[in-house]
Amino acid sequence: MKSAKRITIPQTRADNDRLEALLARVARHDRDALAELYGCTRGAVYAAMLSYLKNVEEAQDAAQDAYLQIWENAHAYRARGTPMAWILTVARNLAKMRLRQRARIADLSEEEWQAVPARAENVTAEERLLLQDSLAALGEEERRVVLLHAAGAKHREIAQALELPLATVLSKYRRAVKKLGAHMEGAQNDDAENG
Amino acid sequence: MMQKTVEDRLRSAMEKTAPDDIGDVFARIDAGKVVSIEPARASRKTRPGRLIAACFALLLLGGAGFSYQRTHAVSSVVSIDVNPSIELRVNAKERVLACTALNADAAEVLDEMDGGRDLKNAKLDVAVNALVGSLLRHGYLDSLSSSILISVEDDNAARGERLRQELADEVDGIVTQATVLTRAYTKNADLETRAKQSGVSTGKAAFAQEVRALNDALDFDALAALSVEELRGMAETGAPGMPIGRAQAERIAAKYAGAGDGIPREVESELDETPPHYEVEFEHPTLGEIEYRVHAYTGEVLSGERDALNAAPAAKPAADDAGAQKAVRAALKEAGFSASQVSDLTVKRDTEDGRGVYEVEFIADGVEYEVTVDAATGKVLEWEAEPADRPAGILDRDVGAQSAAKEALRKAGFSASQVSGLETDRDIEDGRSVYEVEFIADGVEYEVTIDAATGQVIGWEAEPVDRDDDEDDDENDANEDDRGEDDEDDEDDEDDD
Repeated sequence: MKSAKRITIPQTRADNDRLEALLARVARHDRDALAELYGCTRGAVYAAMLSYLKNVEEAQDAAQDAYLQIWENAHAYRARGTPMAWILTVARNLAKMRLRQRARIADLSEEEWQAVPARAENVTAEERLLLQDSLAALGEEERRVVLLHAAGAKHREIAQALELPLATVLSKYRRAVKKLGAHMEGAQNDDAENG
Repeated sequence: MMQKTVEDRLRSAMEKTAPDDIGDVFARIDAGKVVSIEPARASRKTRPGRLIAACFALLLLGGAGFSYQRTHAVSSVVSIDVNPSIELRVNAKERVLACTALNADAAEVLDEMDGGRDLKNAKLDVAVNALVGSLLRHGYLDSLSSSILISVEDDNAARGERLRQELADEVDGIVTQATVLTRAYTKNADLETRAKQSGVSTGKAAFAQEVRALNDALDFDALAALSVEELRGMAETGAPGMPIGRAQAERIAAKYAGAGDGIPREVESELDETPPHYEVEFEHPTLGEIEYRVHAYTGEVLSGERDALNAAPAAKPAADDAGAQKAVRAALKEAGFSASQVSDLTVKRDTEDGRGVYEVEFIADGVEYEVTVDAATGKVLEWEAEPADRPAGILDRDVGAQSAAKEALRKAGFSASQVSGLETDRDIEDGRSVYEVEFIADGVEYEVTIDAATGQVIGWEAEPVDRDDDEDDDENDANEDDRGEDDEDDEDDEDDD
């Protein structure tokens, strides 16, 4: 509850430089570099996958796919100060491919939102409510933006990866957080009344 | 509930539930199953059976056709289509027998390979790699709104499928932005005839047929003339009609914008978006990039400012200052807007830590942006964006910079001759338009905030000159980054390989 991240976004060059250096090493198939890259981007990649695929297991699987892709394709990354956006674009493309496949195999019926892993011992009831019920109440893009940001992606990076204007990302984010707050408050009030 | 609590809880919940399984990733890398992870490719080849059946039914209607392509040595024909259309004839040993440009764009791409003759006898995968590399260098595949189609035509279905898979892997490794579509099919004389008649590769003709199977009211020749990206967009949206095409979209946008022929432009198709449209972007020498969206089927202009390229811009920076215009372009580009999408654009020259900068401010989509651009390099150094909780364009009531400065001095008790470094910047604070008046007097730096509408002092700060606070550290960091003259924000840096 302490980290005070503001919605404004100064560019963080140090982070970018570090990610770019890691990508360069990953391109040379340096395992330590991949492990480190994984460590600082896994949340965002997983969040992206979850927001598209709406299902914990598939998102986990797809997140692994993303790192395999990054392992194979890091050499294609051109240092332009947007490493996180590139990583998220890889994730987005993979997720979209899975969705296309899903659409072709199965019916187009809407996948149900399922965001809490079967084995999640230390997730509190409140976090469970937030992940499962409150997020389900959001629009798909709102959910994506809020999840990516919660997992550490900057608004600018989200905008680049999703090909949305930054302003759209910001307003979706604000709306999403507001809705989440309202939903959680409502749920807790219900509890209080019922209990 | 407080915003912060929700955000923090979500952060913590994501931290707890995101998988931490790098071991599994390495295991999969070691298993060598790296590129076979793309399920979509598999699904693309196995289009819904209904569609394929419809395709073949159409193809079978045509009769015998020619068989001039059946040279004994040729076992497979591989075609590569973006807009350039290239055909490779390959023998059973997967060596290239001939490489042919099927249109003018392709001829240009093959120019550096002696019209394709350099690729003769090359292994198929090497040749395809070289061709895709050349397409990339020619700028064909550098956007997410582009597609490349690789088709393998082979009478031996198993071999064709294997080649398709190999080429798909090869091309996926090189192409990062564009969508890669691959197809394998057996020889079809009728399709070859139709392809020949419309001057496209058989692979593209087959793809056009796929789309036509979704809507048989569409004209085959017109479909064959579209780009692969357009066809893909139609295939994904059920081919609702015949799009107006890139050229027509460009004409419509140019007329609407009042753009003369001399202004360079780019057209991208977004047929799989809602509504389906073409994006036409003009690169104006002083106004920067101006974008229009034209409905792909009706030709209606969906967004963009009418006559923007005819009329003078509303908030054009000082015409004599080329650096300011460059800074505005860089700032708009960074934020992802075209000049026509923003309002209240201001640009100001300033000095930060001895370095000349431009402060570019504007409002777009209800968000207020403040971008700092290095005056010397034109690079974006720093920027902020925050929601502007006010309607854009209420700056009509404005006391002006001069009276704001006058009021600030009066309040601080100095006359203009007693102060140095007087600077007045317009800014937006808490949704209110203000002037920030800065000056130095008696060794103290003052910053006075004046309400732009009323001219009233809202707040002020004073501190001794020669202060040394943490902000300076940040800016020094930025300095270090730039010392290497990195061109990471420079779009040209893709050309250097």
